[in-house]
Amino acid sequence: MNDNEELKDGAVLSAVHDSMSGLRMPPAPRLDAITARGRARRRRMGGLSIAGASACAALVAVASLAGGSGSGASTPALSAGRTPQHQTVPARLAAFSVVAGPGGATTLTLYPGQVIDPNAVRQALAAHGVPALVTAGQFCRTAVQPPPGVGDVVVISPRPNQVVSGGHPADGLRSGPILTIYGSRIPSGVKLSIGYRQDSQNREISFTLIVADAPLTCATIPDNGPHGDD
Amino acid sequence: MSHEKTEFAEFFQASWEPCLKAVVASTGSVQLAEDQVAEAFARAWLSWRKVRRHPAPRAWVVRTALNAGASWWRRSIRELPLAGHEAVAPRDIDEGLNATLLTALRHLPDRQREVIALRVFLDLDIDTIARHLGIAPATVRVHLSRAVTTLRHELSPSQAMEAD
Repeated sequence: MNDNEELKDGAVLSAVHDSMSGLRMPPAPRLDAITARGRARRRRMGGLSIAGASACAALVAVASLAGGSGSGASTPALSAGRTPQHQTVPARLAAFSVVAGPGGATTLTLYPGQVIDPNAVRQALAAHGVPALVTAGQFCRTAVQPPPGVGDVVVISPRPNQVVSGGHPADGLRSGPILTIYGSRIPSGVKLSIGYRQDSQNREISFTLIVADAPLTCATIPDNGPHGDD
Repeated sequence: MSHEKTEFAEFFQASWEPCLKAVVASTGSVQLAEDQVAEAFARAWLSWRKVRRHPAPRAWVVRTALNAGASWWRRSIRELPLAGHEAVAPRDIDEGLNATLLTALRHLPDRQREVIALRVFLDLDIDTIARHLGIAPATVRVHLSRAVTTLRHELSPSQAMEAD
């Protein structure tokens, strides 16, 4: 590489740097919020670790309950009494809803306090043209995260840890996470992996793009930190 | 406040913005990046004794944020401290992003994009990036060079043609 090329490279890197320089970034959260989040994470990890195999058993129980033959009030059921036949027909379920929105978007809403049948969510999303892997109690990914960025495909609302002006954090808890999914932006051979976990204290949803048919790595928490030096 | 927490607080305050920019450059979304970086700092606090000895703690945060994907998590109301700045209407901050550049960045392979983020926004040198990623410095240079070449072509096709 000669000086001229290095100069050109520097110009490109400067352009990348400058592209962010004028951007108003959100201020840092309060330190207490970060450390509290860390402590809660430790509690969750500890709880999961202590629970051990019983967590798996619980998941099986959840899956059995959700996939059962209608026993129990928490079993997802079509409130309209029919299966979605067309993209424009909203599927309104007890534990979640999948609704077609403008611009080819699909809105997935998960309602708190309900047992979610991952297979039902997957089928509802598939009916709206969204290829997805949906898992309850575990979070799955492939070794390679294919493009585009997951931010191109999914938008969460309300914002994490945020309430709108005049709102109350309870509002977010009652309504549950709302995911707006742009299925048309998912390339062929790629799926959206959605993991969901809920207990009496916490609800967590994590999503990432995965390579269809590639080996999956699943964990009970969406912990995918740096490898090798942990 | 303990010495350990004071040290982490200083790191957090000084590193939040550069780490956020690096992740925004990779994800293309300020909204998602904000949550991912917050989660990464929470994990850094949990592992602070290890992270503080890392050759590039900011790089650790960025990599953790990028690997975390995107997640939504909310604890019970009683346990959730809401910072004052959080109680505001959602910002249209993403609209200020350079869409062309971000698209070009996201078309890069993961490793090239990560090298760019570490080099540009965290100002890490080649050797530090290499140690952090566990690859040879020469490999870092190759990733960087390929990424720059791709970006140059995508950002300024006419200029690239002249250079060719």
